[in-house]
Amino acid sequence: MNKNDTDRDRDRDRWQILYIPDKPPIPPNQQQPTVNVFASIIDPKLANTLIRRLNQIAPLENLRHVKRIRKKQLEGGKTELLVILCLASENDNHLDTMQHDVRELVNSYQLSAFITKVCKFPASSKEEWEEQCKLWPTSYHPPTYNIDGITGFNEEYSQSVFSFMRFAVELAKSGDGLVTNAAVIVDPSVKKVIASARDEICSWNIPTNNQTNSFKEPDTCISHSNSNRIITHDTLPSNGSTSELKQLCTGASCLYPWQWSEQELYMPNSSCWHPLRHAAIVAIECSAARDRQLFPDLGDNGDKSFELDQMHSSTSSPAKRQKVNLENVEDTEKLDTLTEGCHSVAARPYLCTGYDIYLVWEPCTMCAMALVHQRIRRIFYAFPNPNAGALGSVHRLQGEKSLNHHYAVFRVLLPEEVLSVEL
Amino acid sequence: MASHEEDCSPDTLAFMELAIQQAKLAMDSLEVPVGCVIVEDGKVIASGRNRTTETRNATRHAEMEAIDILLEHWQKNGLSKLEVAEKFSNCYLYVTCEPCIMCAAALSILGIKEVCYGCANDKFGGCGSILSLHLGSSEPLKSHGVPQGKGFKCTGGIMASEAVSLLRTFYEQGNPNAPKPHRPLAPQATR
Repeated sequence: MNKNDTDRDRDRDRWQILYIPDKPPIPPNQQQPTVNVFASIIDPKLANTLIRRLNQIAPLENLRHVKRIRKKQLEGGKTELLVILCLASENDNHLDTMQHDVRELVNSYQLSAFITKVCKFPASSKEEWEEQCKLWPTSYHPPTYNIDGITGFNEEYSQSVFSFMRFAVELAKSGDGLVTNAAVIVDPSVKKVIASARDEICSWNIPTNNQTNSFKEPDTCISHSNSNRIITHDTLPSNGSTSELKQLCTGASCLYPWQWSEQELYMPNSSCWHPLRHAAIVAIECSAARDRQLFPDLGDNGDKSFELDQMHSSTSSPAKRQKVNLENVEDTEKLDTLTEGCHSVAARPYLCTGYDIYLVWEPCTMCAMALVHQRIRRIFYAFPNPNAGALGSVHRLQGEKSLNHHYAVFRVLLPEEVLSVEL
Repeated sequence: MASHEEDCSPDTLAFMELAIQQAKLAMDSLEVPVGCVIVEDGKVIASGRNRTTETRNATRHAEMEAIDILLEHWQKNGLSKLEVAEKFSNCYLYVTCEPCIMCAAALSILGIKEVCYGCANDKFGGCGSILSLHLGSSEPLKSHGVPQGKGFKCTGGIMASEAVSLLRTFYEQGNPNAPKPHRPLAPQATR
């Protein structure tokens, strides 16, 4: 067993992926809010009739997450069926408070009603949902439920997530000065790095006016085959000018967004700094530059390329993509001839639709909203940001219903030692 | 203290008119029509318009464009970080639409003095509609003395109808860049 295998085994034990839900999770030891309802055991033969009638006379308007009917396992392999009749008063436990038409139904079928508790609000995580079901079964539909990973990652996929996070951590440590935040945008369908960046609030490359010249596509790719390293990268920060100008920033920009003016620069010649060039913002800029370079002639006049790439939903799998390509063979060929030497137009995503981003620290509000705008599908971060984090710490943008796009957020739990110089 | 809050002063309206001119330039380039100007000592020192389609970078909002112009200009003139921070603390932003959460956070980071906007931004607004980043943090100093979010004065509803009508025109003619299921292009529209 070589060193990298040992590393991977160690990681397997200590690294974990945690889903960060849209609402603050309720601690397992804390009771979730409940409401009282009337319920009754019923004869399974009557289930259909009763449910239909109850849904008419006593619909559970604000309890759509609660299942109306419950099957209870009894000892000896027997089951019994229970049904929610209607809401009950919170204060007194008298059956008299039952609404009139339900009471008639109870009487005519000779049901024996009792009061029980169900959870008042839908579960916001799998753990909460499991807690709820102990009381009375509910359904669980995370708003981003169609995004892979919310219900867990398999072993192979977890390793891929860890590899990209390790890449981000290495990038964060790659400057001469302090550790900064780092951002890596990944196309998960081909496990390829689309763009990567560190914080550039202290020094950065002055972009030339001709942006296509200054841009170099990272050829980073990942390989699970027989190689020792899971991830191989050729373009890990090789920016000459960045390493010459020493990074003397005090930590990750997203952690201290308001401190930019206090950070002293001991570089008289370094005239280039920018308080808003946090890693995620720079990575978005790089991926946009890549897009413009790969698909130079498209996008200004709303031509066919849009019609094609809009067919890829945010959840499109590689297989789906293939299918779309086949269905549009003619169009694709036409466009390919129009854009000779370019990548297939159908492969062009709308902004970062379908892409993931790996960040060492939870992004600040500015960066988190930038990632909404750029349509990132999933965010993986390693360390929370209590000062300014917008994915659960201070704000929780993934739960802001009004936004036009929602990503799924995961925290990759890893030992803090990874930030010390040797990984 | 200028009367930005009560009735719109003639200056305020004049600056907002310039922001609307920028929004129209954006519309001419098939961009979502939002524009802004930044004002220091009663003079416009930068202007910006939305360039998200052209750049394929959805963060290139009008505010970010104008901010970048200023940062580049001031650094060329050799201003230090502290001097630049001081400059921003004397700047007014006039923008046709309420700054989104990203831009409002950026304006707080830079420490801008005041923001005047046209129409509210019900989906993304960071100055009252969705989040209220202009109010700053409720706990100005945390335990270890790290200053938290800076607030700024914010006034909305200035020439809002002009700003809205630009946006409405843009969306009615169909945003060719919107994701497919959202809105059909005008020729295909059944409405």
